[in-house]
Amino acid sequence: MRRITELAVILSLVLGVSVLLVLAASILLPGIEVRQLAFFYLYTTINPWFQNYTVNSPEAVTAIVWDYRGLDTLFETSVFYLALIAGLALARGLFSETPQGSFNEKTHGLTTIVKTVTRVTAPMIIAVGASIGLHGHLTPGGGFQGGATIAVIPLVFIVVYSTLFLIARGVTSNKMLVLRSIGLLGIGFTSIAAFLIGLAIGRFAYVFQNMPKPGAVVGLPADINGALISGTLWFFNLFEMIAVAAGFTIAFIILLLAGRGGSGGR
Amino acid sequence: MDAEFINTYLLLVTLTSLLANAIISIYGLFFKPHYTKKVIALTILSDTMNTFAIYLGYRTWVNGVNPRPPVLTSTPTEKSISEFTARAVDPLPQALVLTAVVIGLAVTLFLVFLGYILYTHYKTLDMREIKKLKG
Amino acid sequence: MNVYAETIVYLIMAVVSLLSVVAVYLAIVERDLIKAVIYSALQSGFYAVLYYLLMAPDIVLVYLPVAVGLIPGVLIVLISKTERWEKE
Repeated sequence: MRRITELAVILSLVLGVSVLLVLAASILLPGIEVRQLAFFYLYTTINPWFQNYTVNSPEAVTAIVWDYRGLDTLFETSVFYLALIAGLALARGLFSETPQGSFNEKTHGLTTIVKTVTRVTAPMIIAVGASIGLHGHLTPGGGFQGGATIAVIPLVFIVVYSTLFLIARGVTSNKMLVLRSIGLLGIGFTSIAAFLIGLAIGRFAYVFQNMPKPGAVVGLPADINGALISGTLWFFNLFEMIAVAAGFTIAFIILLLAGRGGSGGR
Repeated sequence: MDAEFINTYLLLVTLTSLLANAIISIYGLFFKPHYTKKVIALTILSDTMNTFAIYLGYRTWVNGVNPRPPVLTSTPTEKSISEFTARAVDPLPQALVLTAVVIGLAVTLFLVFLGYILYTHYKTLDMREIKKLKG
Repeated sequence: MNVYAETIVYLIMAVVSLLSVVAVYLAIVERDLIKAVIYSALQSGFYAVLYYLLMAPDIVLVYLPVAVGLIPGVLIVLISKTERWEKE
């Protein structure tokens, strides 16, 4: 019986590897043509002659993330939210919300050179992150990228200055929780914005609608005075950037506070 | 040897390296005893799988003209759009990987919190010792 | 010149992915966990170059801060709060 099992395993391995080789020859090497679905996305991402299908955004990736497959991204945002909430729930009891002692420039953190360099570069990194996030519908970038870039700053500040500095400057986990809730609420409201407008003026409109579609003429404007905002994409990027940056800041503050003056995990 | 053979060989080297990375990180995930090492192996494995997805969206060069990122950089006219669709790579895997990276960071944070809880309970992160302690 | 450009790009891709195999191997076999985290960050840098050559600038922008900055930082914090050496 055992020999038959081993033989079956070996034979199926041989057959499977040969199938893989056939696939490798035809699929795993990139071809000249792109898939039909990708062709549709690329053709309609900004196309003035297909007003019923276009997103009016030159950035195909952001258009897919927040328009073509917007509902997927909404659920992915909720998965991200739940993973973060699960982590924070695990850390409950490991830290005290208000740590003892106050921030002292002399005794806490690294040397003066490092602190000064951090002080100078921090606004630059935040500006770059905001630029990446808010230009997400025009150039490579978007809410996730900008938020991840901005989230570097609290980690650097915690390492260089200590957590007490952030708390003394008013960046507490409760305020970040409020900021992240604002971001998530904004995402929720933006996703039903066209629906609400349709409800107000008595026209038919879909949830998660961006540009006017056949049968649902309600839509958000593609540009304001000639400046392209691609309907809902700009708002989605803004709120997602806030939610991602604030969410990771909470996690870093709590992670670095864990085990310092808390109840010790018991 | 002609140029096409060399190009195919180099692309397959890239692909095989990714496969080797996946196998090494799965080995680390299953057979390395330390919790932190398992987390590192998990991040490497997810990055490798993301790279596979990006690789599947790539397209080859045509007559020495490189493929473009899926971002239209000129004003949308009939000509620029047709040139864009002829040369841009597949944007769908990139859109999927984009969210996967951020969710991977959130999951890693969850695992880090879990590891810290494990350490406060067992005073070790070695999985063999934790298995022995049973409490 | 254009004939060789394609081969040169593929050559850089192959070299970068081979170097990433070296970094992954060192990260898995290293017993000092701080060094393992740094090797993992090195692998992330090679992957970022690979993403750039595979024409995915969006992924480069999200992957560089996440995989080179945040994940190693968080893991180093975990190691500093727990233990540094992996036993035999």
